[in-house]
Amino acid sequence: MKKQGKSAAAKPQLNPALLFDRLFAAASRHNKLLLLIVCCGTAVISSIVIRDLQDANIATQEHYRRSVHGLQRIGELQYDIQETRRATLYALSTSDSNLQVTYADQSRDADKRVSDAIAEYEKQSKEPAETAVAARLADDWPKYLAVRDEVLASILEGSIKDAVDLDLSSGVPAFDRVRKDLDTVKQLYDQDAALRQASFAASSRRSVSRLIGILCFTFLLSSAAVWTIQRSHMLGAIQLAKLQMEFVASVSHELRTPLAVLMSAADNIADGLVEGKTALQKYGAILRHQSRSIGDLVDQILLFASTEDSKRNYALERIEVGALLAEIVAGAEGAMKEAGAVLDIRVDQNLPLIMGNRNGILQCMQNLIGNAAKYGGDDRRVDIRAFVAPGREDSERAVKISVTDHGIGIDPSEIPQIFDPFYRSPRVRDAQIHGTGLGLSLAKRIAEAMGGWISVTSELARGSTFALHLPIAGGDESTAETQQPSATPS
Amino acid sequence: MKCLKTAVLVAGIAVWPMMETSATPRASTDFTVTEQEAAPEPLVIVVNRMNPVDNLSSADLRAIFLGVRSYWNNGRRITLVMREPGEQERRVILHDVCGMNEEQFRTHFVRGLYTGEILVSPKTLDTPLGVRRFIFNVPGAIGYLRESDVDATVKVVRVDERSPGEKGYRLHVP
Repeated sequence: MKKQGKSAAAKPQLNPALLFDRLFAAASRHNKLLLLIVCCGTAVISSIVIRDLQDANIATQEHYRRSVHGLQRIGELQYDIQETRRATLYALSTSDSNLQVTYADQSRDADKRVSDAIAEYEKQSKEPAETAVAARLADDWPKYLAVRDEVLASILEGSIKDAVDLDLSSGVPAFDRVRKDLDTVKQLYDQDAALRQASFAASSRRSVSRLIGILCFTFLLSSAAVWTIQRSHMLGAIQLAKLQMEFVASVSHELRTPLAVLMSAADNIADGLVEGKTALQKYGAILRHQSRSIGDLVDQILLFASTEDSKRNYALERIEVGALLAEIVAGAEGAMKEAGAVLDIRVDQNLPLIMGNRNGILQCMQNLIGNAAKYGGDDRRVDIRAFVAPGREDSERAVKISVTDHGIGIDPSEIPQIFDPFYRSPRVRDAQIHGTGLGLSLAKRIAEAMGGWISVTSELARGSTFALHLPIAGGDESTAETQQPSATPS
Repeated sequence: MKCLKTAVLVAGIAVWPMMETSATPRASTDFTVTEQEAAPEPLVIVVNRMNPVDNLSSADLRAIFLGVRSYWNNGRRITLVMREPGEQERRVILHDVCGMNEEQFRTHFVRGLYTGEILVSPKTLDTPLGVRRFIFNVPGAIGYLRESDVDATVKVVRVDERSPGEKGYRLHVP
């Protein structure tokens, strides 16, 4: 008690190994949750990867679109600038006024497209160099057009020589300036494209690195999950084997003790050491008691084996709880007396009939009462109560038969395991309290096979309460009002 | 020498029709406009939009269309734009402005070019659109169009202080 108090009061230390063990134990207990987390993590990571790829794809498409659009724009601008001049020169090559007018119109159409393209380029220019060349182009192009208009006018007037002279003296230099501007535009575009390509390559590299990192992380996470699950299974198998070994040892011990007594008593009788009726009666009682112990143990093992598939069906019947409890108490009286325990039974009046199996309930209650006597500590009082309590669902009612001891209690961390087959608390083993670890597991299985369940509340050093809950028989629900146990002993 | 000049003149008259662009119907030398003016449409005189001229007298028009006057007041050379021979608009101009028929007009220009009195022969265009575009492109150009063919690319000039459609406007085409 003092030790437990001390250990409970001790401040928990942050030991990484301990923390890892606890985490691992938690992960082992929740394999499905772990798998779910891994699946969720993988889904999240997959969505990140997909999003990353989509971003890269969008960036590529944008890069391609801008490149194509830029090239197309420059190509069209170049073509239209050339077309403006080419059409002017075509007009120079003919004396047909109609054709000259047609060429003049073609030149003007082209120059309008050029002016529009320059305006668009000017509008979209962001970098200072682009803005400067756009402004230069917007200045040089109208200057060339002014010369072009004069040349066209001279051609149409029929002054070919004037037109040629004007074109050579002013048109060609003006056009060269426009061409140089266009070359600058192309150079800037090339520079911008190279920068964008470099940026895209860097982004692509980053994307690939991120992808590799994410894949590595996913691989590690999956590996850790698989390792944890495998280890959990392995530890589970080891634990089961250990429990089975302990069970075998325990059963052997439980069998050997009465067998030794039997053999000793038989030897004494055979050797003629027992004389007189009284002595024979005493030896007979010993033989009967030990034989019954062995029989009970064998019965329990057989019963556990028969319920191990959890599918054993009991024939259910309407049972009156009070009468059944009286029968149970009568049956357990001898064992209680032997263990020095005292039963305190209180059954509510007007309890409804329950649906259950007489033998199943007997077996359950024997196990619960036997445990209460076994682990009752110094206070050998065992309280048995029967009353109507809420069912699993609020709308339901059930009869609750509780068995309370005032003994050593159960550590809260052990409560989830006490119904596992072969499980025995280390404290119990240390205290040399004999048992197979099958009693509670068996009781739970039987209760569930009857449509009921077993609940437990416990406090260390204060005792435990195990309760068998059984459904109320049909047609008897009217009396099934939730009641607290009355003080009327049966 | 006189014989040589006469030969060149005769040759020029013979070559003139070949200088025209398409196989145009031969214009009859005698035509009557007045009989066909059942629903006459004003024939407007148009110049380049940059040309400051707003009004021309009949005498100015005649001098311009006969090539006697070769420059505008601003010094720009006048470029005369005509439609094809045989077109109604041309007939009206020749008859009402120049007071000539096709043959006389042709002879006048061949002679003028030969003697150097006329600097440039008229430009002949197939369509009203061609006329408009030509005048639009040439600052010193002058031509004529039906009123319905006029648009904002050219400038309409009043004749004898009268706008097309105004009472007393003298140029109409059937």
